[in-house]
Amino acid sequence: MFAYVVRRVLATIPVMGLVALFVFSLLYLAPGDPAAVIAGDQATPQDVERIRASLGLDRSYLVRFGEWFFRILQGDLGLSIFTNLPVTTMIAQRIEPTLSLMILTLILAISIAVPMGVIAAWKQGTLIDRAVMGFAVLGFSVPVFVVGYVLAYIFALELDWLPVQGYTPFARGFFPWLQNLILPSIALGGVYIALIARITRATMLEVLQQDYIRTARAKGANQSSILFVHALKNAAVPIVTVIGIGIALLIGGAVVTESVFAIPGLGRLTVDAILRRDYPVIQGVVLLFSFVYVLVNLAIDLAYTLFDPRIRY
Amino acid sequence: MQRRTILAGAAAAALPLPAFSQGSLARTIRVIPQANLTSVDPIWTTAVVTRNHAFMIYDQICAQDAAGVIKPQMAEGWVLGDDRLSLTFTLREGLAFHDGERVLSKDVVASIKRWARRDPFMQVLWPSVAEVEAMDDRRFRFRLNRPVPLLLEALGQTQFPCFIMPERIAATDAFTQIRDTVGSGPFKFVPGDWNPGQRAVWAKNERYVPRAEAVDGLAGGRVPRIDRIEWTIISDPATSANAMVQGEQDYWEYPLHDLLPLMRRNRELVVDQRLLEGTYGIARFNTLHPPFNNVAVRRAVAMAVDQRDYLRAVAGNEPNGWGVCEGVFTCGAPLANEVGSEILKTHSIERAREALRTSGYNGEKVVLVAPSDYPQINALSLVTADILQRMGMNVDLIATDWGSLVQRRASREPVERGGWSIIHTTSSGQSLTLPVYHLFLRANGPSAWFGWPDDPEIERLRGAWVESGEEAERLTIAQALNRRAMEFMHYLPLGYYWQPSAWRRNVTGVFRAPATVFWNMGKS
Repeated sequence: MFAYVVRRVLATIPVMGLVALFVFSLLYLAPGDPAAVIAGDQATPQDVERIRASLGLDRSYLVRFGEWFFRILQGDLGLSIFTNLPVTTMIAQRIEPTLSLMILTLILAISIAVPMGVIAAWKQGTLIDRAVMGFAVLGFSVPVFVVGYVLAYIFALELDWLPVQGYTPFARGFFPWLQNLILPSIALGGVYIALIARITRATMLEVLQQDYIRTARAKGANQSSILFVHALKNAAVPIVTVIGIGIALLIGGAVVTESVFAIPGLGRLTVDAILRRDYPVIQGVVLLFSFVYVLVNLAIDLAYTLFDPRIRY
Repeated sequence: MQRRTILAGAAAAALPLPAFSQGSLARTIRVIPQANLTSVDPIWTTAVVTRNHAFMIYDQICAQDAAGVIKPQMAEGWVLGDDRLSLTFTLREGLAFHDGERVLSKDVVASIKRWARRDPFMQVLWPSVAEVEAMDDRRFRFRLNRPVPLLLEALGQTQFPCFIMPERIAATDAFTQIRDTVGSGPFKFVPGDWNPGQRAVWAKNERYVPRAEAVDGLAGGRVPRIDRIEWTIISDPATSANAMVQGEQDYWEYPLHDLLPLMRRNRELVVDQRLLEGTYGIARFNTLHPPFNNVAVRRAVAMAVDQRDYLRAVAGNEPNGWGVCEGVFTCGAPLANEVGSEILKTHSIERAREALRTSGYNGEKVVLVAPSDYPQINALSLVTADILQRMGMNVDLIATDWGSLVQRRASREPVERGGWSIIHTTSSGQSLTLPVYHLFLRANGPSAWFGWPDDPEIERLRGAWVESGEEAERLTIAQALNRRAMEFMHYLPLGYYWQPSAWRRNVTGVFRAPATVFWNMGKS
């Protein structure tokens, strides 16, 4: 197991290298010129050229990539073109809100979606099942920003229970932190809940047909024990896989959610950087997201062994 | 450890730390700025949001009042030499930087030199300046090769202001971004609270000595009446509106026009004009390539333009939300005129179509690039696209983002190789008041703004205006410039719209100025 983990961690290095090459090349080829944005309308072409030169944007692809890659190997993501701040500092400033939003959404989604899926499977064909599936379709169909606006309208503007926007760091207290994150988490969690609930239901339906479940029933095991101990554990592998895949959904959804609720997270940092062509920031954030995704996949692979002892690495 | 102790600890951890008391909130103005503050150097970038930040932390030698007249600010006054070949300034007593150092003439001289490297207005005048020199701690002097009547206008302008920094900072190359925010203005930047994309904070400069006169535009006493100004970047307009309605923010610099009725319905909010001038829209032709290298085609398009269509698309039917201005100079400014502007008053698609037929247009593709992430400019672009299509032109509307547009507009290639035919932009009225810094008017070919129009007559008139000293003569030349611009038609003036601001009713001391500034403002 340990050797497997080491192997997988080492395997992330070439993956990250490829991601770095891909991200850099994509941005190099993409249209847009940060020097023109910085210089503004009044600037002469000579001024724009001087700014481009001062930013090192006039150098060749290979020189720029080599320099950037060498810095990355040293843990230096470079300086933002616009703010002149280290990209690592900018990411550090933004990571807490995004992490908070994703963790809360994950907790919320799993604690709602898994029981929903289990109950739907148990009550297959009933009104409850249809209601759960109806909710899942709704969760898939309604865009995150629409859910966000509706929630803000009801709970912030009409009822005045929660703030419209912003983020309070966890260090300022759990409840203020939670207050700012409840609505964004629900908005972001909609799709995720739908996804997990559907896969849980489908897998549970399959597992509930197995012989050992019939045996458990014959032995007199109670319903909740059958559902949540005997069946769910055996249905867990696909569910965990979907939860892992869904992290990518969360990263994508966080961009929209953070904009709607003005949460200063990595999603907004990415969008702002893309609009301004702040290359070092875009590269840094995409690398970080890729790294997180690689780690999540590793964690999921390892989690399989917990739910299915037959799986060995 | 007892269970009770653990529970008590958990409860304490859940309680909020004292972030702001009610008192400190009352001493803070929470602002939603027009854009994200990405750079703190107003010389390195021309971003308006950086300029607004700079107005808080820096001071100016002289500044514009509400009528546009240049008044002393850091300067006690100035004396023009008898031969008009020197201009000597004396600084006020008591000026100090945020780090406690006195503001000296050498700081001012270094700041002027850095700014002059980048300011287009000063670059026009700079060949006439022999030297800027510190005479002693409080006096500095411009020595001139020939009289420069516009020198004060350049130093006191709002578009690209000459902000005064300590000499050690101003010594930085004008193309290298500074990060040190020490100035001598009424507020101090709080670098530790700066999170670009989220927040920027300024604290009152307790040592600031404002002028004794009442505030008047950007002139007069810049009195910091509030302890703290906090900008929160909210990119979504609907969320900004909700935050204003809920009292989570106090001031919104640029509310979206669509949301103004909602804001006006709220009794706690004031929606009013803060800026002294409107925002002007223009459509720019690429004069290098067909079809708009043909002046007859450009003039045919001008005949189809009705500024009211554009302005409604941007600002809706807001009462007093916009105005028609069918000349090249800012309406209401001393040089405003519509001499020769009859073509812009045609307002007829039929006549435009007829003119196009005889213009020599052969169905060449017109690439119109529209920035979909910039609502106002996008709206202007879509109206033009509609007009061109109705005229029967072969239009290729390319929707992109602003970042891509600013790169593409620099391309001088034909449309088949990634070039463009027509783009739109907006500008403050301030920057269209005088020929000397009127970006769109210039027609000096390769050195002109994108579209690269080449018309020696416009350049000759512009040069004559810079040289002229008399008001009447200047107006006559401005009229000739307007007439020639309408003949050459290298860009289409599309009128102006007002950009109101919104603030909570308890925000006091709000005044009109050429830029969004926060001195003199408080909270009741």
